[in-house]
Amino acid sequence: MRTINLSKKLPCLSLLALLTGLILCPLITVFAKAVIIDGRLDLYQAWQTIASSENVQTVCNSLLLGVCVVLCSTVIAVPTAYLLARTQLKKHSWLDIIFMIPFMTPPYIASMGWILFMQKKGLFQQLFPATGSWSEGFFCFGGLVLVMSLHVFPFLMTMLKNAMLNIPASLEESGAVFGAGLGLRLRKIFAPLLTGNYAIGALLVFVKTLSEYGTPYTLGRRIGFYVFTTDIHRYSTTAPIDFGRSASLSSILVCICMAMWLMQNYITNKTSYRLVSGKGSRPAQTKLSAVGQTGAWLWVILVVLIAIGVPYFSIISTSLIKLRGYGLAAGNFTLDHYKELLTTPKALSSIWKSLFLAVSSATICSVIGTAVVAAVRRSRGFFKKALEGVSLLPEMLPSIVLVIGIMLFWNAIYKVIPLYNTIGIMVLAYVVLYLPYTVQYVTSAFTQINNNLLQAGRVFGGTPAYVFRRVTLPMISRGIFAGWMMIFIIAFRELVTASLIAPPNTLVVSTYINREFEQGSVSLGMAMAVLCVLITTTALLVFNRVIGKQKGA
Amino acid sequence: MKRSIICLLLVLCLCLSLAACAKTEVPTTETPAKSQNTETTAPTQEEQASTEETPAAEETPALSGKVTVYMPSPAGLADKLAEAFTAKTGVEVEQFQGTTGEILARLEAEQANPVADVVILASWSDGLSMKADGQLESYTPANADKVNEGWIDSDNTLFGYSASAVGVIYNTTVVPELNADWSELADAKYKDMIAIPDPEKSGACKDFLAGLVTGTADGEAIMQSWADNGLTVPGANKAALEAVTTGEKGILIAGVDYNAYSSMAKGEPLNIYYPASGTVVNPRPAMILKTAPNMDNAKAFIDFLFSDEAQQLVADAYLLPGRSDVQCENRTNLADIPQIPTDWDKMMEVASDTAAKLNSLCK
Repeated sequence: MRTINLSKKLPCLSLLALLTGLILCPLITVFAKAVIIDGRLDLYQAWQTIASSENVQTVCNSLLLGVCVVLCSTVIAVPTAYLLARTQLKKHSWLDIIFMIPFMTPPYIASMGWILFMQKKGLFQQLFPATGSWSEGFFCFGGLVLVMSLHVFPFLMTMLKNAMLNIPASLEESGAVFGAGLGLRLRKIFAPLLTGNYAIGALLVFVKTLSEYGTPYTLGRRIGFYVFTTDIHRYSTTAPIDFGRSASLSSILVCICMAMWLMQNYITNKTSYRLVSGKGSRPAQTKLSAVGQTGAWLWVILVVLIAIGVPYFSIISTSLIKLRGYGLAAGNFTLDHYKELLTTPKALSSIWKSLFLAVSSATICSVIGTAVVAAVRRSRGFFKKALEGVSLLPEMLPSIVLVIGIMLFWNAIYKVIPLYNTIGIMVLAYVVLYLPYTVQYVTSAFTQINNNLLQAGRVFGGTPAYVFRRVTLPMISRGIFAGWMMIFIIAFRELVTASLIAPPNTLVVSTYINREFEQGSVSLGMAMAVLCVLITTTALLVFNRVIGKQKGA
Repeated sequence: MKRSIICLLLVLCLCLSLAACAKTEVPTTETPAKSQNTETTAPTQEEQASTEETPAAEETPALSGKVTVYMPSPAGLADKLAEAFTAKTGVEVEQFQGTTGEILARLEAEQANPVADVVILASWSDGLSMKADGQLESYTPANADKVNEGWIDSDNTLFGYSASAVGVIYNTTVVPELNADWSELADAKYKDMIAIPDPEKSGACKDFLAGLVTGTADGEAIMQSWADNGLTVPGANKAALEAVTTGEKGILIAGVDYNAYSSMAKGEPLNIYYPASGTVVNPRPAMILKTAPNMDNAKAFIDFLFSDEAQQLVADAYLLPGRSDVQCENRTNLADIPQIPTDWDKMMEVASDTAAKLNSLCK
């Protein structure tokens, strides 16, 4: 009996140990800086930092921003996900990739694109001089929410779309048979079935907004809207450096996010339905009329125009402009920046490094993340919560705090494991930072699987390994792939981590762009940004094609 | 049956931890070997040099291995300096480029096992605070006698190999001609046209404000009057210059001059001047860390920074050279820049508070 018990807990324990090494140790190292002062435990100073009255305002601002962004991205994501999952638009799978583009754009570049477009004497005013200073109205809280929502809505959209695809037509049809109209069906059948998945997606969006730094710093401070994360960054990157303070402040953020996570768990548990059972089900499809179809396309085009058109108009035109001071004018365009980019070995090597980082960290994350979710689902009680909680921690605090923790920890144990200051530490940092994405995506996929399927597999004599390979894995594969893609994208353009932890002489795409912005030519940086999005899109298209083929076979 | 699922999971874990190790260990096994090389070969070669006493060795002691330098940009200059140093001495330069904040954060995080040999910062006051923490090694570089007065501190720990000054940068399509003094920029004519770099992100701007507050009679009043005149803070140095280049704002107060000179050289419609009541010239200190793993290489790098070659590279990057005998043709020379009397100790005391104050005034 005992041996069985132990072997039951072993995978859980070993995973927990792995995550402790990867996530908890660095965190403890950085939080130790907050509470250990001059070699003694001193909670008073940390408490003073946390309880400072200045924080109230910024914390409130952060929360307000988080809620508004969740609402705004819901408005964008829900109809789009519905159209892509349930209507004729479904067959245009390239739209999936198109809607990923806002997410591929580094947040600071997207917000810079918006600023360049809307500012006084900006591109909008150059294009439409008649509108006067109308576009400057963009610089308000609403503008900030819009830009941040446009950046994160793909998260929610992918998750909802995957969930919608799993809702069988039979459920809705039976509703229709019993005389429920479209509205009632959506309200009583469709929406409740999605609540659990929506909660997961909304949590991701909320948490992502709270810990985001780029947009609030560039756009937020222009409109005098200060959020919490900006403060946390300030303490770790302006002299005098005080990691302890950053850590104490970020503990507030962790508390908020943990509370949100528990709430999301409650909602998801209460409303998860085992939709994917063995019964033959066909995906539902709504046939839109010609008018409906036009409307659907109009909506898609509108979203694409705002989410991609505006920032990319700025980014591309900036990358083509010869002299920034003269703006959009005939004869002020050049392709030199692209030429320079393609002939600089440094730029090219940074692209390769980023590609390597993105692929390796996405793959490792997918493996660990899937293992974590699988282990979580078969265990109960303390282990379950501990494992899941730890795996989601990295998402809940600003990346800079965790990155500093990783640096402190791995530098301290350099003599034991000489990983610090190599490209390996970057892979490790990315894996730690992005593990929550896989966990969330796979969890979302798991919530819909009916246990009967696994039991059926076992009844028919499949070994657990066989069942996992042939039953579980194919069913959650969509979630794993979605997570892989998300991590690939985000790791390709990560800035905060790369700018601190990159070993000497190592440039990745984001640090290259940032260096051009800081000291070189903005146009060159923008050209690199365009090139990156092209590369990411192509990579994803190829990846999708390969996966699609495998699934078909 | 459950056991085999567990086994599978375990194997998965093992695989991935192995995979993680495999990926990471390739470079790690290399680097210690390399650093060992430098540690062992550098002293032996030097011994050889000293025992043989060849005339050539006296000029440039045979060095090898690497030197790790943390420096803020300008990126082009950093790369050129590294390249020239390697060509001259054969020592590999490992450089980490970042903003002052990133460099300081990195140094702080690496305290357990220091990596850096030489640190260069963009502002003198940040260098002084590193010195106050007792992190710096004292050294007298070659050509020290030719360095501008005051650009090497009295304890020989900070080496101002170059400098920038802040001035007023304006967009000539918005303001064709400008020569206003600091206080005159609060004039209603310039309402909502003025911007300033974030002093908490730009060391040069921070030191300037500290100089303005301590070196002039009405510094704080001037800051207040700018804020009343619609002063905005678009971001760090470059972001602030960007706002002026694109014409969103007309005038950049306390803009770093070398950025402006290089933009002007490209043909951007910008111009710069130094207001008559004076500005702060901010030497960019290079420093040797006490904990430098490659001390000899670090000293050689500092010597190199004051060589003719390096000083010429500095001048070409539109920065003020650290040696008084090197003049630049592409920008205003040091002698022609009016200066506020600077007392760095006093400025250090107020710098952070002044920076925070300006930001809160402009909120």
